[in-house]
Order: sequence, then C-alpha cells, then structure tokens
Amino acid sequence: MDTALYLTRRLLQSLAVVLIVTVVVFCLLHALPGGPARGILGPQATNEQIAAFNHEQGLDRPLPVQYVYYLHTLLQGDLGTSYTLNEAVSRLIEQRLPKTLVLTVLSALVGLVLAIPLGMWQAVRRNKPVDYVVTTLSFIAYSTPVYFLGLLLILVFTQTLRWFPSQAPQGDTLSQVFSDPVALVLPVVTGAASMIAVFSRYMRASTLDNLAEDYVRTARSGGSRPFAVLWRHVFRNSLTPVIAMLGYYVPVLFGGALVVEQLFNYPGMGLLFWSAAQSSDYPVLLGCVLVISVATVIGTLLADIVQRIVDPRVKAERT
Amino acid sequence: MSVLEIEDLGVTFSTDTGDVPAVRDVSLYVRPGETLALVGESGSGKSTVALAAMGLLPGNARVSGRISVDGTPIVGADNRELSGLRGRTVSMVFQEPATALDPLTRVGAQIAEVVRNHRQVSRAEAARVAVDLLRRVGIPEPEHRASAFPFQLSGGQRQRVVIAMAIANSPGLLIADEPTTALDVTVQAEILDLLRALAADSGTGVLLVTHNMGVVADFADRVAVMLEGEVVETGTVEDVLLRPSHEYTRRLLAAVPRLAVGEPQAAGTAGEDPEERDSSASVVELRDVSVHFGRGRRTVRALQNVSLTVRPGETVGLVGESGSGKSTAARVALGLLHPDAGSVALFGNDLARTRGRARRSLLSGVGVVLQDPVASLDARMSVAECVAEPLRVHRRGMTAAQRRARVAEVLELVRLPGELAGRGPRELSGGQRQRVSLARALVLEPRLLVADEPTSALDVSVQRTVLEVIAELQGELGFACLFVSHDLAVVQEFAQRVVVMRAGSVEEEGPTMTTLLRPETEYTRRLIAAVPVPDPVLQRRRRASLGLEATA
Repeated sequence: MDTALYLTRRLLQSLAVVLIVTVVVFCLLHALPGGPARGILGPQATNEQIAAFNHEQGLDRPLPVQYVYYLHTLLQGDLGTSYTLNEAVSRLIEQRLPKTLVLTVLSALVGLVLAIPLGMWQAVRRNKPVDYVVTTLSFIAYSTPVYFLGLLLILVFTQTLRWFPSQAPQGDTLSQVFSDPVALVLPVVTGAASMIAVFSRYMRASTLDNLAEDYVRTARSGGSRPFAVLWRHVFRNSLTPVIAMLGYYVPVLFGGALVVEQLFNYPGMGLLFWSAAQSSDYPVLLGCVLVISVATVIGTLLADIVQRIVDPRVKAERT
Repeated sequence: MSVLEIEDLGVTFSTDTGDVPAVRDVSLYVRPGETLALVGESGSGKSTVALAAMGLLPGNARVSGRISVDGTPIVGADNRELSGLRGRTVSMVFQEPATALDPLTRVGAQIAEVVRNHRQVSRAEAARVAVDLLRRVGIPEPEHRASAFPFQLSGGQRQRVVIAMAIANSPGLLIADEPTTALDVTVQAEILDLLRALAADSGTGVLLVTHNMGVVADFADRVAVMLEGEVVETGTVEDVLLRPSHEYTRRLLAAVPRLAVGEPQAAGTAGEDPEERDSSASVVELRDVSVHFGRGRRTVRALQNVSLTVRPGETVGLVGESGSGKSTAARVALGLLHPDAGSVALFGNDLARTRGRARRSLLSGVGVVLQDPVASLDARMSVAECVAEPLRVHRRGMTAAQRRARVAEVLELVRLPGELAGRGPRELSGGQRQRVSLARALVLEPRLLVADEPTSALDVSVQRTVLEVIAELQGELGFACLFVSHDLAVVQEFAQRVVVMRAGSVEEEGPTMTTLLRPETEYTRRLIAAVPVPDPVLQRRRRASLGLEATA
C-alpha cells in the first residue's frame, strides 16, 4: 500500500519535472536568433518566402500559443515533423533511441562492473601503491576529453594494433548492431572510461567511510574473516550512496553518447541531436530533449526505487 | 587458570607527528566467572587494553608484552588465528549500540553470522539459534524481532542484540567497553542485570571498561585503575572504591557526583514552596506549552502541556530519560522553537508577541551551553573570536578595544588563561572548550543560562571543575540557570528545584532534595533506583531490596 502511494506520488512528480523541462527548452530554443526558415529555404529566399514559411509552421504566433499547440499535439503522441529530414520526429526517435540505449547501457554496465570492485579494492589498499596507481589513472581518464580519448583508442587499437574497427556497427536494427560485437568494443570503452573514473572514486570514498564504521568492528569481533566482512556488510552499505548518484549520471551518459556517436559514426540519438542543432530543427531538438529528460527522470526514479529495496531505512523515512 | 592474562602490555601508536605511547607495563588477569573493571578517564588507555585483548588494534599500533586468552597468545597471532578466537573464545560488547550493528542486515542474520563463523550448522539451524539467543537476552517476540532491522529497535534492544552476538558461542571471556554509557539509567540497569545473569550462568569472565564508578560498584568483583597508560591501583571493588590507596583514585572518587538516596534528614532543606513565590518575577516561564513534530499519523508529541518556571538566581534541573522532551523544552525557552500551543514568557515578555529588534534584545539576555563543545564552537574561529561574536551581534557600538577587554575579562571569569585566546577550539581540551562555551554564553551578562547536558561529554574530574565554575559565577553574577541533564547526581548537587519529565509531560517537580529523596511518582522512584551509587556495599543492599520489591 505504502509503496503504491509512493510510486504514484513519484510518477506525478516526474511528470511535472518533464513538463517544466519542455517549457524551459521551448522558450530557450525560440529565444535563439536565426530560426529554421533561413536554414531550410537557403540564402536565396526572400523575406516574403521566409514569412510564408514561418506562417505555415505557426512560428509567427505568440510563444505561449505555440507552446500550447505543441503540448496539445504532444499529448496525442505527435512530436511533430522534422523540418529537414521530412519525417515524423517520433519515427526518427524510434529508429535512433534503441541504438543509443544499447551504447549507453552497455557503457554504464561495463563502467559499473569495473568501477565498483576497483573502488573497493582501492579502499582496502588505501595509500598503498595500487591505490595511488588507480587514483592517478582515474584522474587521467576523468580529465581526458571524450573525443580525445576516442581518437587515441582508434589510433592505438585500429591504426596500430588493428584489433578493433574504428567504425561502430552500422545496421539499423538491433540484431544488426549485435551481429558485430567486436565493432562495439571501442565505442563502449570510450563511453565507459569516465564512468569508471568517477564511480570508482565514489565507491572508494564510500567504502572508506564504511570501513571506519563501528559495525565492521562488531563483525570482526564476532570472528568474521576480513573478506566476509567486506562482502556481507561493507559492500551493500557502500553501494547505496553510489546507486543514488547513478540516476543523476544519465544525462552525462547521453552527453557522452553525443561525442561517441560522432566519432565512431554510429547513427543514434547523439548524431540526430547534433545535426538537428546545426539546422535549428526545432521539433527534432525538442523531441531529443524530451527523451533525455524522460530518461533522466526514469533513471533517478529507478535509483530511488532500488535504494528503497536495498536500504530499509529509506522506506521507513519517506512513506 | 585465568581466561585473560595480560603481562607487561605496551601499546604505541605511530602517527604522522611521531610515536604516541598509549599503554605501558599493564599487567592484569580475569578469572572465570569474575568481573574485572578497568576504570580511568578518557585517554587513560583503558579502551586500548580492551581492543588489544581482542587483537582489534588499528594498523598503526605496535604491541609489546604478552596477552593470552584462554591460554592462546594474542600478540603476534595472524588474522586466521584471531578470527578463530573472536566470537568463540572472546567476545566484545561496544559502547554505541546505535552504530554497532550493520544497518542493512536483519539482526537475526547478524547473530546467525557469528554462530556460523564457528559452528558447522545449516543456515536454518543458525537462524533458530539466533532466535533462541534473542530470547535469552530478553527481546520480546524473538521469532518476529529476528527479522527486524537495527533501526527498528530501541537503543537498549540493539545493545541486547550486540550482547546476543557476543554470547552466541558461549565465550570464556566477555569484554564490555562502556556497554551502558550511551543508554538511559533505567535501560543501563536492565543491561547490567542481563550481563550479570549471563556471566553467573555460564562462568564467563568479564573485562568491564568504564568510567562510571556506580557501574563499577554495581557490577565488578575487582577493579584496576588506569592513569596515563598505566595501572596505578588494583584490588577488590570494596578496597578500591571504599579504601583507595593511590592518590589518583582518591581524587577520581572525590570528583564523582554522588546521588544521596534514602530518607532525607529534614524536609525542606533546599528551596521553598514554589506556590508562594510571585510568578511575575520569573526569568522564564513556559505555560501549557505543547510542541509536535510532523503531521498526520506520524505526529510526534514532543511536549504536552508543559509548564515550567525559572526564577531569578535559581537553578532548575530538568531531568528525564532520552526522548522525554527535556531538550525540546530548553529549546522552547531559548526561543528556538515556537510552541504549537501555550505561551513562553521571557523576563516577563511574551515571546510570541515580540518581533525583530525587541525579540533579539530579549533573547540576548539568555546564554546557552550545549553538550558537545567540539560541535558547538566554530573550528575556524579563535577562542577570542568565538567569545566576541555575541558582542559583535548585540553590542554594535562597542569598539574593538572594548570588545577585547570584555573578552579577556570573561575568559578570566571562567578561569581560562589569556594566552589561549588566540588558539582554535580544537587545540583545547574538552574541559577548556566547554569553558569557552561558557564564556561565550556569559559575555553578554545574561539573566538566564540554559545548559543542555553541559558536562555529559566530559570526564568526572573535568565535569567537577566546569560545574564549580558555573556555580561560582552564578553566585557572583546572579543569573538563573535551566540545567538539563540525565545525571540525577549532578542535578541533585547543582539545582535548587527539579522538574522530572516523562514522554513529553512534566511528571513531577519540587525542591531538589524533597523530590529526589521522597519522589511522589513511581516513574521518578524507578529513575532514582536505577542510578547505581559508587559504593559497592550500599549498592548491593539497594539491589537486594529492589530485587525483593520486584519479586514481591
């Protein structure tokens, strides 16, 4: 009962957040100088032609009216039609989103699977050589721009070693993407690098905090071996704050996808967003932002739900 | 044979600033079924000895000498050997039940883990054993409670769970490091009874680390007194507490506030009948104050119809168990919390009706000293800045020179040497820090001092000096004092009137001596009975009579 109430409340909150995001993005987009007409009609277009285009697209109406109209069509599942690609935005997203999800989810999984044990290992070996080496590598990975890291990986693993192709799998469907797993390696590693760096730091700090807790001493005084204490008690306690961070990391992952998709020529949401931004393709841009904000909201919601499952205290506090 | 034998134990911690010797030449033993109390003030090394006996010292500790538990050497043993001993041959109960248990693991599972560390039993069998253990330590509905998480239990119940873990494999030696310090007196009495019964049943030897002489008198057979890392006196509990031979032990015992119990010599020794006084002269008056936190079903009624008066120059002790609302009442008196019902009059003015500057100037007449001197002073300010801050806020017209003069004056009042003024709070000892708090509270010459557990975090000898300073200054400056404390002995010594709180309401009140020596309510009687007195003979007699009362 409590859980149902909690979920309903959180879903309503999430809806409100998404709505606010669309308002903000809508206003920002239309505040930009230029507009789509010039880009689509070309430099030769006369002012009359531009005015006609704007009128046709409804761009000459007051902003609130445009927004209400946008929201109205949005509620009917219509995200509008791209100015440049002549296709429904929903159709474009439908094609691109799964591919980006594959990339980001794989990057996140690889990142977490490596970062969590790495962070714990560092905490256990604090201020020993291992800790220093991993810390140094983390800072390097974190401070290297994604595109530079991608180029570096291509240089080493494609040009020199010839282990992996520099081009991500090209097919349109997911089965085509998965048919060439080797080609996914470099994009996924590029996307995961900063995630490993950031989350191993979180996990290290969190584990260190927990290792100093009294319950560790209690468990040891009951005769539990160091590894058992780490696995049964410290691991779960250290993970909860890290889970909370994960939700907030969703937009960062999408941001990374923007660069990774460019680099490895992988036609997902990132490439779509980038080209739409170039040509002021409002409907596509809004669609992309909507998708990312929904993904972020879902991410934080999932993180909160997982936390409620893992940590019984959270449930007791919030219901 | 002894279950614990320590010979010439030395422990040194290597830190960034050099080696710090913590324990020197400590030799002691615990025989089966006997309790040895290790007493001393903070920093005396008593906890270090306890941790050394468990092999739980941190990595930067260097240990010399010999420790053997049930014949097995501890010093120099590796992790595997130590894990084999811990929880089976020797167990430990810690001070903080709030943090001693893994918050994410059900308590039954935590107990079962200790069982399975040392016995080849199935998970189901271990779970059954855990329930049995919970029953043995007096947890009601153990089958149900085994699946509770620690946060769902009270402090006393958590400590019972820790004890259940400690006795899971019937160890020969139990090390209890301040096992009741974080608990209310009534809960403390229950936990001590439990430990006593367990030790008597199984012949377990107990090493009890504590600073509380009442607990020692109540529980120990023999006592070892530690000072600066060395044992200065050992003997039976009667010898050490009643006929101390070492100078330090005598000083320590003299500093312990003693709760006078039994029949009062004459009625009305202190204080007068409260009804006769004129209430308009009160410094602070809470009238029918109610405070609640939260909304709906989860509303917590922190205070219900609490009325409380402090008159000029008098000290009112506010006592009660944790959660009884005494600190909440103090916060209302300080104007930090708006009551949901009732009124607060400060120096005759209704606090709810004063706003802005008038309110600020009214509140500047109240000084406050809180429990934790580390947390209540800004670590980035010097002592002088901490003390001067109220002057900057409330005495805008003062020049820097006048402020400096006033700060120096107040520091002298609280007996702090002037050269400390430039130091940071962290460079001072606990007692010095608390005197800085006091100086800060008194710098505006308040008419009321609100002291919330001002000495609970301090050692007894330090507590004594801080209390003496407060009492002396009160005589000199004439401020009234609302003194919140869970320590009945301190309140008895310090307050003219006492207000006993229970679950958000005033249970009873009156002149200190009358109320504490002839309590009218059962609750106050229980509260007083639960305080162990630092005299083993008297304490044994009290316990016996209580036991009779309980069985009757």
